[in-house]
Amino acid sequence: MSEDVAGVSQKILTGIRLNDEEWAELLTTRDLISLGMAADAARRRRHGDRTTFVQIVEVPVVTNATLGSLPEQAREIRLTGRPETTAMAIERVEALVSVGGGLPVTGFNLTDLFELSGRDSGRLVQVLVSLREAGLGLVGEVWAEGPLPAETAFTVLREGGMSAARLTLGESTGDEALSLIRRIASWSDAGSVCRCLAPLPRSLASPPTTGYGDLRQVALARLLVDNIESIQVDWSSYGPKLAQVALTFGADDVDAVASVGHDERGWRRSPGEEIRRNITAAGFTPMLRDGCFKAVKS
Amino acid sequence: MSLESIVAKVESAGRIDRDEALALYSDAPTNLLGHLAEVVRARKHPSAIVTYIIDRNVNYTNVCVARCAFCAFYRPVGSNEGYVLGFDELFKKIDETLAVGGVQILLQGGHNPDLPLEWYEDLFCAIKDRYPDFRLHALSPPELLHLSRLSQRPVPVVIERLVQAGLDSVPGGGAEILVDRVRRLLNCESKATSDEWLSVMRVVHEVGMRSTATMMYGSVETVQERVEHLYRLRELQDDTGGFTAFIAWSYQPSNTELGGPEATSVEYLRTLALSRIVLDNFDNLQASWVTQGGKVGQLSLAFGANDMGSVMIEENVVRAAGAAYCMDEVEIVRNVEDAGFIPKRRNMVYDILGDPLCRDSAVPRRTKLAVARAPGDTSIPAELSGYPARTRTGKAERAVE
Repeated sequence: MSEDVAGVSQKILTGIRLNDEEWAELLTTRDLISLGMAADAARRRRHGDRTTFVQIVEVPVVTNATLGSLPEQAREIRLTGRPETTAMAIERVEALVSVGGGLPVTGFNLTDLFELSGRDSGRLVQVLVSLREAGLGLVGEVWAEGPLPAETAFTVLREGGMSAARLTLGESTGDEALSLIRRIASWSDAGSVCRCLAPLPRSLASPPTTGYGDLRQVALARLLVDNIESIQVDWSSYGPKLAQVALTFGADDVDAVASVGHDERGWRRSPGEEIRRNITAAGFTPMLRDGCFKAVKS
Repeated sequence: MSLESIVAKVESAGRIDRDEALALYSDAPTNLLGHLAEVVRARKHPSAIVTYIIDRNVNYTNVCVARCAFCAFYRPVGSNEGYVLGFDELFKKIDETLAVGGVQILLQGGHNPDLPLEWYEDLFCAIKDRYPDFRLHALSPPELLHLSRLSQRPVPVVIERLVQAGLDSVPGGGAEILVDRVRRLLNCESKATSDEWLSVMRVVHEVGMRSTATMMYGSVETVQERVEHLYRLRELQDDTGGFTAFIAWSYQPSNTELGGPEATSVEYLRTLALSRIVLDNFDNLQASWVTQGGKVGQLSLAFGANDMGSVMIEENVVRAAGAAYCMDEVEIVRNVEDAGFIPKRRNMVYDILGDPLCRDSAVPRRTKLAVARAPGDTSIPAELSGYPARTRTGKAERAVE
């Protein structure tokens, strides 16, 4: 490990505040491996060798598609997309809960719900209460930066009796994303309402992000954000190759693993086997969880 | 033998043995392996230059009698999906390669019993007549062995004739894992045993040609066998010094007889890093973005690779087995610079040819690699009728013409 990064990492691991020069060192280092070693140490200190993952079924919120039979492997029903109205959101949650066989139903971006509430925090709280009563397990996503300031978002979630599955950086990439990660680290109450931080972009950037860029972001998120328990990487968006390497750079939770695969590829290449094999090959112990982050006994 | 003592040995430029290599692979955390590989890479390449080559990966035929269980590319003799590229088709591919600044083709193909040695000699001569400075990086050891058997001439004679015709260097394909137990399981022992592969490479080096070395891992071999492969290469390199580079790639299972899962990306990075540490007499290690994709391809630079391989332009073999990644020069350069390195173009022997061409000219972007032939093109090159076929099917086809 390079001495500069090693020294800074050691300070982080022992809880010592960094000065501006040390922040700059960490944010600008090209020494990816040293960053990865430090992030891995931080992640193992918190989670040991456990890596959680969830297999999901996605249901678009705006279509009237019926759920059909639930795949045996599914541990979360996730509503995707933006509802047209808050009433539609509530109705869809109720409908899925009624056929979901007890699986957690999650979904929605809090910013979308804020917009549908007329950008009124008070109304948003009422919507969250209604969604919770309809059976929504977790709000899918909260943006760290957007029309709804993060601190307000956390307050609204608490008042609505809800938590969010993940805090995300929205569309931020590169230096902007790193600066946002540093701000997230200062929000002491983020971890009380957000189960994890997903530090990678949620949509494809142009030009696409790089492997170095993605892993730097994951590693820095783990090293700097002490106030959120888990660092999450998205299996379907980032693919097995990048997502698996991210586990050795500080990520401890894998989101959005499919519940069904291509039957003709055989059971060894089914999504459940593939994720377990990848987690094990990365040196960790896989642990299936449900959409509300509860461990599932296999 | 503790992990710490092995780490110290690598850091102080010591040479590790098989047991130590195995212990490193089994016990060292992934990032520690990356760190050690980086130590070795930086020792060999302190200038932070990362190279790549502009060339084209051309497969002159997919007809093959070897029938390797891991291959999704080959077609048996008589298949209506079998093809042989004509000389004109190959010239066109070379013209396209030259147009984007390419300096060579990597020419490999199936073990086609209906292509005699003379066909290769004529092809190479024709290419060199038209393109005297263009390099022919062609025919892996099993192909050379196949030609030796087909022509009933010793390997050195075959190589000498091909060199006379224009062969410049030899790609390291067909090595798979250089352990015969593995080769038997992969049904590739008959195309070349481990000793045969190595002995062909020894001849190649003895006549003054350079070659690369490869490893296809992640099929049926054990980690010990993977390590053994590296040591067999290291021993030959100690003797001849003829290898310019090493390339490891993971077995691609889709559409193959063998099937099964693909080795993971972490296994790739660990294997690459271990290769850099063990192969201390190899100057260059290439990233296999074609099997790992651009992101893990770039990460290879943190795990011991100093070369991004080829822009490739065309690829058929890995694509047939399910991988369809593409990196053009712009993308390779962007990734190299993003990782903090300096991109430079090179040739097969790693002479630096210059800065990226895409900096000075508007190179058309490529988002998909080309293929050998358009789907459904079953045309038979006219010149084939001038060569004797060995199989009944081949004879019948040429009689019709």
